[in-house]
Amino acid sequence: MQPATAQPSLLDEFTTAATNAVAKVQLIERSAEALRDAVLRAVGDAPRILYAAPQELPVELFVEFARDPRVRPNPTPEEMVASAAGVTEAFAGVASTGSVCIDISFERTGMVSLLAPLQVAVVAAETIVPQPRDLFRSDVLGGRGLERDFVFVTGPSATADMGPLVRGVHGPHKLHIIVLR
Amino acid sequence: MASAANPADIQPRQVANKADKQALLDAIRMTLAVQSPAVRHNTQTFNRNRYAVTARLADYDALKDRAREIKQNAIANLPELLRQLETSVKANGGQFYLAKTAADANRYVCDVLTRHQAKLVVKGKSITSEEIKLNHAMEAAGVRVAETDLAEFILQVADEQPSHIVAPALHYSRERITALFKRKFATDLPLDTGEELTVFAREKLREQFIAADVGMSGANLIAADSGSLMLVESEGNIRMSCILPPVHIAIAGIEKVVPSRKDFGTFIELLPRSGTGQPLTSYVSILHPPLKASVFAAPGKQPKEAREFHLVLIDNGRSRMREDPALREALRCIRCSACLNSCANFETVGGHAFGGETYSGGIGGAWEAGTGKLLNARFSELCTGCSRCVNNCPVRIDIPWLNEVLRQRMNVEQSKSTAKSTFGAMTGSAPEDRVAPLQKQFFANYSSQARRATRFASLSNALTNLPFVRGLMESAVGLDRRRKLPPFPKHTWEELYRSEPNPTTARPGLPKVLMLADVFTNYGSPERGMAAIRLLRKVGFDIELSLALADGRAAISQGMIATAREQARGLAAMLLPHLDRGEIICVLEPSVLAMLRFDFAHLVDEATWAKFTLAKVLEPMQLVWSAKPELAGLFPASRSPHGTRVFYHSHCQQRTCNAAQETVEVLRACGFDIVTSSVECCGMAGSFGYKREYYELSMAVGEDLFAQVRAAEQDGPRTLVASGTSCHEQLWAGMGREVVHPAELLMSTVEVSRLSRS
Repeated sequence: MQPATAQPSLLDEFTTAATNAVAKVQLIERSAEALRDAVLRAVGDAPRILYAAPQELPVELFVEFARDPRVRPNPTPEEMVASAAGVTEAFAGVASTGSVCIDISFERTGMVSLLAPLQVAVVAAETIVPQPRDLFRSDVLGGRGLERDFVFVTGPSATADMGPLVRGVHGPHKLHIIVLR
Repeated sequence: MASAANPADIQPRQVANKADKQALLDAIRMTLAVQSPAVRHNTQTFNRNRYAVTARLADYDALKDRAREIKQNAIANLPELLRQLETSVKANGGQFYLAKTAADANRYVCDVLTRHQAKLVVKGKSITSEEIKLNHAMEAAGVRVAETDLAEFILQVADEQPSHIVAPALHYSRERITALFKRKFATDLPLDTGEELTVFAREKLREQFIAADVGMSGANLIAADSGSLMLVESEGNIRMSCILPPVHIAIAGIEKVVPSRKDFGTFIELLPRSGTGQPLTSYVSILHPPLKASVFAAPGKQPKEAREFHLVLIDNGRSRMREDPALREALRCIRCSACLNSCANFETVGGHAFGGETYSGGIGGAWEAGTGKLLNARFSELCTGCSRCVNNCPVRIDIPWLNEVLRQRMNVEQSKSTAKSTFGAMTGSAPEDRVAPLQKQFFANYSSQARRATRFASLSNALTNLPFVRGLMESAVGLDRRRKLPPFPKHTWEELYRSEPNPTTARPGLPKVLMLADVFTNYGSPERGMAAIRLLRKVGFDIELSLALADGRAAISQGMIATAREQARGLAAMLLPHLDRGEIICVLEPSVLAMLRFDFAHLVDEATWAKFTLAKVLEPMQLVWSAKPELAGLFPASRSPHGTRVFYHSHCQQRTCNAAQETVEVLRACGFDIVTSSVECCGMAGSFGYKREYYELSMAVGEDLFAQVRAAEQDGPRTLVASGTSCHEQLWAGMGREVVHPAELLMSTVEVSRLSRS
């Protein structure tokens, strides 16, 4: 846990950095209803939503959202490669860069966070660490960054290879981060 | 190789290998004609962004020290780390293969593909796979290879080698990509924006990701303790290649191995910032494959039961580099490209000229020589030793020194001749260096040529103005006849100094100063030297001028290290007694300042070099600033006949020595309205811009500086001010007018006030 006094500034720094990296950041109350509302607002009228159940956050937080009929917890191969949004948890956030860390070592989290044009990541405020390097310390977040297979996700996928900067390449075109207070 | 009539018709592949010098010259002409605007725009964007993000990194220097230490230890313990890594990968359930040669690596990969009856491989960016020509091997084995990094995709379509180690197709402008795709794919789709091109490539590649049997990636770092990979990217194609196909093969050089995943913490802060200048790229994956996650089921395909992972590590000359005292340093490289983006020559031509078949830029020569033949590093001639890369390298590799060593070895590999040996003996080359080409020996022995020329200055100047003499010089030693030669003065700095009385008295409390009579000022611009002496005296320094001795700068730039060593030792012996007496050494010519501060590390013994510290070897304006004089009263800008509006260009090596800011502060404090340049180097770089082969490149590099002058003068003219001899010559050539040294500018305010009083 971060000291309580440091938390607001870390969260501010995270929000600024993530916004600079062209992610949307939304801060919400920690409840299943608030999470449902936030996710459904973020995905808009997406006809199909991929969802990987969380490992860290209580799964009860996601039950309200998962009731939406568009959510596919067990997608067919066809659905996996053609859905409009993918929702996962992030086990950490990084304040200096506005990154979220997605554990891809279980089930379909890696694909759900990668294949759809809109990525939604849900992160708990107390797991935001100051810098990327903190994920490689045994005394931060219980040393989880030293054990997991994970991805630092900073904004949507992007390229400058075709001349001007283009957002949305092989990975998601948009990143929406929901921070749980 | 015959030179093509139209440079734009030269294909990059034809000139990829520059063992034949004509290929290098053709490549320079081709890149200047075709690629330069895109390369300039992209590298300079990376460069600006890197300066901005590293400036915000509070412990940037400490991180660089740490990164260097981690890599240095890893290289020292490499055999042991490789054994540990093999155990880790196997414990994770992966397979490990250490390939001695490129052929071994290719054979292993093709065997895996055959075992899986693979038809299609999707591949993330891996410059190492370019080194071993893996795509050729896989295609020969009947496997289709889809490059999925958009830059690599472009190169695959165009059949070209990478021009940059991080953004391999940055020599392509959007317009040229549109033309290429329209030519190669028969399509009616609109391809006129970056978005449209990206959508086009994405859709093509999405099908391949889903259909692929095997995914391949490189690795930015590999941790021996856990078999973890760090993979840095922004497009998402590496993530796709690693997690969609059931089989993942990662390919990397053995130098990518560090002891622990904990070490990733240092590099994740440095690598993206040093490369594209982003705090982090969109995706940094940290994996210890095979992944435990569910296998991806492609539509209509029977999924495999479990994932399979192969780590293929490649030696291919790296163990030999490890035994080589100079090339060993290159193994620290993390391929960030900071040395490419901070290099004025690279920014102008890119890696199709300043690069070989795989590797490019300042660090590229060592890699091409290390993994191939020495003469493949010929393009490293384009390293002028300007040193701008040195402070930007996150693992602190002395890249100019690597290139000087390569140059020396290439000099030796060239044929010996009596002409070279006689010319060398006459002009002062050390016996070992008398194998170097005539041109190199001519420029390396600047001090002995200049000494003779100034002794008979009128005759020398008359002669060098004769067209047939310039023609002779061009054919004999390759001195380009289009380059105007500054006249040799009638008297040297030493002579002027001896003839001028010293009426001032030193201010108490200021250190005694020995001004080094560097050979460039002594024989080239003695009046500038005298202005610096008068300036320091006026501020209150007790100052004395040394003898003019060669310092090794000209020799080292030609790869004549033995000659440079002799000269550096002689100079150090002259300077040491002064340092031991507590005097400050003041150096006017920034390239010689850098010689004493940095290059001496390689040329004199350690105990001697240790005495040439930052505090003891200073540039004149640093001394002026340190004395805290009443500048506005002593040198009021309003009295300068040059006016108060100035454009100041500091010297590349001066900036690397952190010895440029004081000049700006001093001029400001005197009341000058100053605009500074932001180019990395003026492009002259000592003898580089005089050489026939490089004159056009040198002027093309200079164009960035000239454009900045023109921009700064939109609201009225400014006096051109520069600190380095080369910069003076380049600005003089490009702008066609007088350039003054900061010391001359300051002294002009005094001369005028003296006149107005009388």
